[in-house]
Amino acid sequence: MVKRKKAPFKSEKSAYLMILPSYFIFFVIILVPICWSFGMSFTDYNFKTWNFVGFKNYINIFKDELFLLSIRNTVWYSVLTILPSMVLSLLLAVLLNTKVLGRGIFRTVFYLPHILSMVAISMAWSYMYNTQAGIINKALTGIGLSAVGWLSDKNIAMISVAIMSIWSSLGYYTLLYLSGLQGIPGHLYEAASIDGATTIKQFFYITIPSLRPTIFFVFVMSCIASFEVFGQVYIMTNGGPLNSTTTIAHQVYVNGFQYYKMGYASAEAIVLLLIILTITILNMKFGGGEGDE
Amino acid sequence: MNDTGAVLNRSMKIKRMLLFVMLLVIAIVYLLPVFFVILTAFKTDAEISLQNFAWLPASLDVSSFVNAWKMADWIRAFSNSAITTFCVVVISVLINTIAGYSFARMRFKGSNVLFIILLMGMMIPSQAIAIPQFIIIKNLHLYNTLAAIVVCFLSAPMGVFLSKTFYTTFPKELDESAKIDGCTRFGAYVRIYLPMSKTLFATMVILKGVQVWNDFFYPLIMTSSERLKTVQLALQLFKGSTTTHYNWLMAATLFTSLPLVVLYFCAQKYFVAGIQTTGMKN
Repeated sequence: MVKRKKAPFKSEKSAYLMILPSYFIFFVIILVPICWSFGMSFTDYNFKTWNFVGFKNYINIFKDELFLLSIRNTVWYSVLTILPSMVLSLLLAVLLNTKVLGRGIFRTVFYLPHILSMVAISMAWSYMYNTQAGIINKALTGIGLSAVGWLSDKNIAMISVAIMSIWSSLGYYTLLYLSGLQGIPGHLYEAASIDGATTIKQFFYITIPSLRPTIFFVFVMSCIASFEVFGQVYIMTNGGPLNSTTTIAHQVYVNGFQYYKMGYASAEAIVLLLIILTITILNMKFGGGEGDE
Repeated sequence: MNDTGAVLNRSMKIKRMLLFVMLLVIAIVYLLPVFFVILTAFKTDAEISLQNFAWLPASLDVSSFVNAWKMADWIRAFSNSAITTFCVVVISVLINTIAGYSFARMRFKGSNVLFIILLMGMMIPSQAIAIPQFIIIKNLHLYNTLAAIVVCFLSAPMGVFLSKTFYTTFPKELDESAKIDGCTRFGAYVRIYLPMSKTLFATMVILKGVQVWNDFFYPLIMTSSERLKTVQLALQLFKGSTTTHYNWLMAATLFTSLPLVVLYFCAQKYFVAGIQTTGMKN
């Protein structure tokens, strides 16, 4: 982005005026709050009074069984969602990238769930998962199996939430992959098939390496989405049963907005932010680097 | 020679047919939840309490739509969402495209640093800033107003990024001819760039519009009164108010999703454009 030619306008002071509205809002709504969160995490602010407490919040949250559980749950949720959604959407994208009949319609169909609101799809899936009335259990008992407590069994609830999340984000990642796939020059495949490489070989030796930047981008996006997970948890289980689905973001919400322990919740929020920053930085260092250029 | 060609052709055709059937099956399975919601919404109360499950409703019964519509003040919820979304989209698209234009076409001190800070802002999860945002909104005396929701959504680092990418591709000569015509930078933006920004605007309107319309987190924390409920919040509360009438719930899910689904089928191109440009980011 370096412009070597001299700019057509001498004074570019008007640029500041033109970015001002956007930047001012960004400053007030995002930059100030993030610094504020950081500062507040060193206080015991409870919406009425505040005292400086140093690192006490950070020490306490790591002694807080519930917060530690929420970290474990969030990691578990990430394990359940990231890899399956990356693999499934890649396979789907490869299928959709062929000259199959009606691929435009298929693309429309697969992206549809992603535009539905989290509240709407959570409601639909909550009903499907319902132990007595849900269609899944009705199907299971119909073929002689026993009913499963999809959202009421503490060992299964998070898996159920994860399945729904994979379903809702699949179309989005598929589209990301598709735009990556369209950038792979066709002659690579032609040359490979002349050399007698099978479709599967072509997939592993041409598609995957060429898609590296997209794969890493999808990886980062799904990592961030997984670690921030809140909506589906809040709506479907509100963290239950027995806190088995409470996540970091859910703990921030509960402590901050239900118990008004805002200093404490801010410390949790900063931990969440640090996790996301670490993932992104690690990825920039090891992932995108070579594939980028 | 001809024969092998025909054989090859036929095997290609069979392959393509198989692929089509495979995708069709995947698509149907994938959309089962959607079909399920639609079909449930048309069932009667008696039908959904039956022990035996049937996919198809006995008849197209619309009483669950009527009942669900009566249960909450949906007209108010829809207008709240419409007002919020409209205000956010108009203001946010205007200010962020201008900023993107400035970053793309103008040279000014600190532009790189300012832009990188903006990009880093994209990674911040809303839960990490929600508490200070809440305090700021309270102090501005905006708590429990629709304006509170609007303000929280106005910032769009992603939009600035999209606009910057979009305007970078324009030829340099545009700026030079604008200069000869005696346009100011802002004048050049309004007269020359704005008329050519239809795709960008449509993409941003849709990205932002969907985000605001579908969000329930900010309405949840920034408002408390009944008359300010947005569609998503009303839907979420509706879930708590009727635990057994699943057909009503599914009907409400359907009619609250309808506006976006219609928009999606009309302006699909821009939904896809938004994704693909954001995908280019890496």
